[in-house]
Amino acid sequence: MSTEKVKEAIAKILPDVETVICYQQGFDGLHTTPLFIKIPEEINGLIWNPLCVQNLTSYLPSIKKKVGIVVKGCDSRTIVQYLQEGLIDREKIVIIGVPCTGVVSVKKVLREIGHQPVAGVAFDDNGNIVVKTSKGDRTLAIADVCPDKCATCQYPTPIVYDYLAGDPIKSDKPKESVHEDIRQFDEKTLEEKKAYWEKELEKCIRCYACRNACPMCICQDSCIAETREPHWISQKLSLTEKFMFHMIHAVHLAGRCVECGECERVCPMDIPVAKLKKKINTEMKELFNYEPGVDPDGKPPMYTFNVDEVKIKEHKL
Amino acid sequence: MSVVAGKELRIVGFLCNWCSYGGADTAGVSRFKQPTDLRIIKVPCSGRVDPLFVVRALLTGADGVLVSGCHPRDCHYTDGNFYARRRLEMLKRLLPFVGIDERRFHYTWVSASEGQKWQQVVTDFTNRIHQLGPLHVKKENEG
Amino acid sequence: MPDTGYLPKEKVKDFMRELAKDAVVYAPCLEGDTVIFRPFSEERTLCFDRPANSPPKSVIYPQSEQLFAFEYKKDPEDHQKMSVELKADTNVPGMVIFAARPCDARGFTIYDRVFIDTDTPDPYYKKRRENTLIVTLSCAEPSPGCFCVGVGGGPAHKEGSDAMMTELEGGYFIEPVSEKGKAILNKSMIEDGSPYLQKAQEAQAKAHEAVKNPFETDKLKISQDLFNNDAFWEEAVSKCVSCGACTYLCPTCYCFNITDEQASGKGERIRSWDACMFFHFTLEASTHNPRPTRFQRFKNRVGHKFVYYPEKYDGAIACCGCGRCIRYCPVSVDISEIVSNLTESGQKQQQTAGSAKK
Ligand code: SF4
Ligand code: SF4
Ligand code: SF4
Ligand code: SF4
Ligand code: SF4
Ligand code: FES
Repeated sequence: MSTEKVKEAIAKILPDVETVICYQQGFDGLHTTPLFIKIPEEINGLIWNPLCVQNLTSYLPSIKKKVGIVVKGCDSRTIVQYLQEGLIDREKIVIIGVPCTGVVSVKKVLREIGHQPVAGVAFDDNGNIVVKTSKGDRTLAIADVCPDKCATCQYPTPIVYDYLAGDPIKSDKPKESVHEDIRQFDEKTLEEKKAYWEKELEKCIRCYACRNACPMCICQDSCIAETREPHWISQKLSLTEKFMFHMIHAVHLAGRCVECGECERVCPMDIPVAKLKKKINTEMKELFNYEPGVDPDGKPPMYTFNVDEVKIKEHKL
Repeated sequence: MSVVAGKELRIVGFLCNWCSYGGADTAGVSRFKQPTDLRIIKVPCSGRVDPLFVVRALLTGADGVLVSGCHPRDCHYTDGNFYARRRLEMLKRLLPFVGIDERRFHYTWVSASEGQKWQQVVTDFTNRIHQLGPLHVKKENEG
Repeated sequence: MPDTGYLPKEKVKDFMRELAKDAVVYAPCLEGDTVIFRPFSEERTLCFDRPANSPPKSVIYPQSEQLFAFEYKKDPEDHQKMSVELKADTNVPGMVIFAARPCDARGFTIYDRVFIDTDTPDPYYKKRRENTLIVTLSCAEPSPGCFCVGVGGGPAHKEGSDAMMTELEGGYFIEPVSEKGKAILNKSMIEDGSPYLQKAQEAQAKAHEAVKNPFETDKLKISQDLFNNDAFWEEAVSKCVSCGACTYLCPTCYCFNITDEQASGKGERIRSWDACMFFHFTLEASTHNPRPTRFQRFKNRVGHKFVYYPEKYDGAIACCGCGRCIRYCPVSVDISEIVSNLTESGQKQQQTAGSAKK
């Protein structure tokens, strides 16, 4: 079991670091919450299972001391991207990588069980999650309730790590599948797409959870969505302003979004905001053959240029 | 004079100070006839054009947005338009995803001496926006 | 007229249509997986099975509202002189909040003390509040994170409701709470409720039992030592990402911001929700920020609800235990756990646990 291996690795690195960031059980069976381990006794509070969804790496840029962190394959892409952008000091981070077979989307489970309160959760050996409610047990295949990113995951084994808790896993998902959803959505007419976003974004309450949970939103307290001068966004609650905020988030993530899906996972109004960033990623791949968070020596495409751009053609009027 | 008599649309132009603004000036001084729908905003360099300027304009009332800078390799600040090209291309590809016709946004390069080219760009772009008609992305909605 | 009513399930929509004749009826509606209070209309899908993602607070206390519009006018005689014209739209339609949960209704009573029961009542809030009828639906089962009984409420607590419905097999038992609420019993589809009284009371008692009370005693006693200890807060909320989800979804958070937005001499003064979890909430013009860290901001959030508000308003707690801040927190921060650790009994437990650790 990876849990024991993760614990072992943490015990090993703990003397060298201030704290190790990992997961513990949250307020109910379906939710986990971060655990910051400082002393060996706290290691027992750790859990490792497919409910460990949160991308913990978003805490890294704000921590100045030496820390350890537990990452899945996708989480490690954030670290790679941080390295590309010079946002963290690799020397100050000890990475415990865990090869991952896919996690569970709490939202999808809740949909399956009709939003019943959950009395308990268990995992069997056949890749299922068993959810107990007052109406009985529901057995769901993890593959059916995984976040979309897992269905096309290319990097189940972390790209960077110092310790690997488990044997590396190779992805068996076709590369083309990654952006298939975006291509399909793009086939809709302009009117359909407009109507889709209007309906979705209208629900937005501008709580900025998507922004604050996003590991690559590094401006945080200085976000232009909240500056008064210039006043990018009004205090009015119109669709225009909500739209504008999401365009800000998307454009600022251009060529930087590591597709961790946090923005979408945390949205209390269930708005599929990660799609906007993923669309840009699809274009970055096509234009510059660039994929965020996979090559520590890479350079985000908006941070650089070619004098002759092979794929950008002049637009005719 | 607008293309369709009596009905001007709102087109916002972000022009770099060194080339395109000069080009527009040349066109003016040479008295080349141009449609009047375009409102020009002078920026130091096309590299100053945040793609979000374009978005904000399109969301809050513009029917079309035109960005113009120096030709590649001619930027007064050497690299500004190289960065601009990447950002603006990214935006052009993002717009249709959210239901905005990418034809409402055009970016191009016009030098200070190209008065005639400027006239052509403005006329063609204005014509295109008139063909597309007014844009109503704006919809007030209390939630 | 009987003192209680009964609404058969098949007549719920008729009843809502009836209410909608002279008021805008806000009801929990399903959009995708999200439950949101929306003005009732035939094409919407009602959803009464779980508390709405966002409470109905914006019906009475909008997220963003225009206080007045203004326009600068030049004096035609003397161009040096300017006058300003103000216009305020104070018309508020009749409104009904339908099938809100009891905690949501109770939330409004927390606002009332601040916005109405003072020397300077807030006319905007007051008018909306007075024009709104609140018909709640008692909860049959707690949702994850609910702890209403720990803060003096309950799944059938009536404070704040004008009338309360309790779901039974074939319909809803209706108890009026206020004079306003009594009037709905006159509607033609409402039958006599007395045969259902006992069943409803049983259901309510059963629901009450099922809700957890995270606090040891009925009286929450916050330990001042812990409350003023920064280390406690740093430890408790180092995971918080400082967003607005908990405050914006909270039916008892009421902090707001006021901004003037204008262009070419015309504009409006807007009041919009603010959140103490945001960095900008306390940012001063000098750029000094008295609450620069996340834990300080979280301390304020808990402090406001469980310490300062009670001090000011006779012990009343400014939290109705709806559990939304727990359910929708991106990182599952659990306010009930934090507050229970903050109580004097919680402090003792931690001390013993802490000494065992070392
Ligand atoms: S995207 Fe890949 S690495 Fe990330 S949780 Fe899913 S399967 Fe695991
Ligand atoms: S988390 Fe959701 S509701 Fe909150 S600002 Fe982002 S999209 Fe809007
Ligand atoms: S935009 Fe969304 S998916 Fe992309 S890095 Fe940020 S949180 Fe992750
Ligand atoms: S407690 Fe949770 S919801 Fe509240 S600000 Fe922190 S992260 Fe956001
Ligand atoms: S603090 Fe949390 S539990 Fe209390 S009323 Fe607000 S959202 Fe509900
Ligand atoms: S100065 Fe003209 S594009 Fe840079």
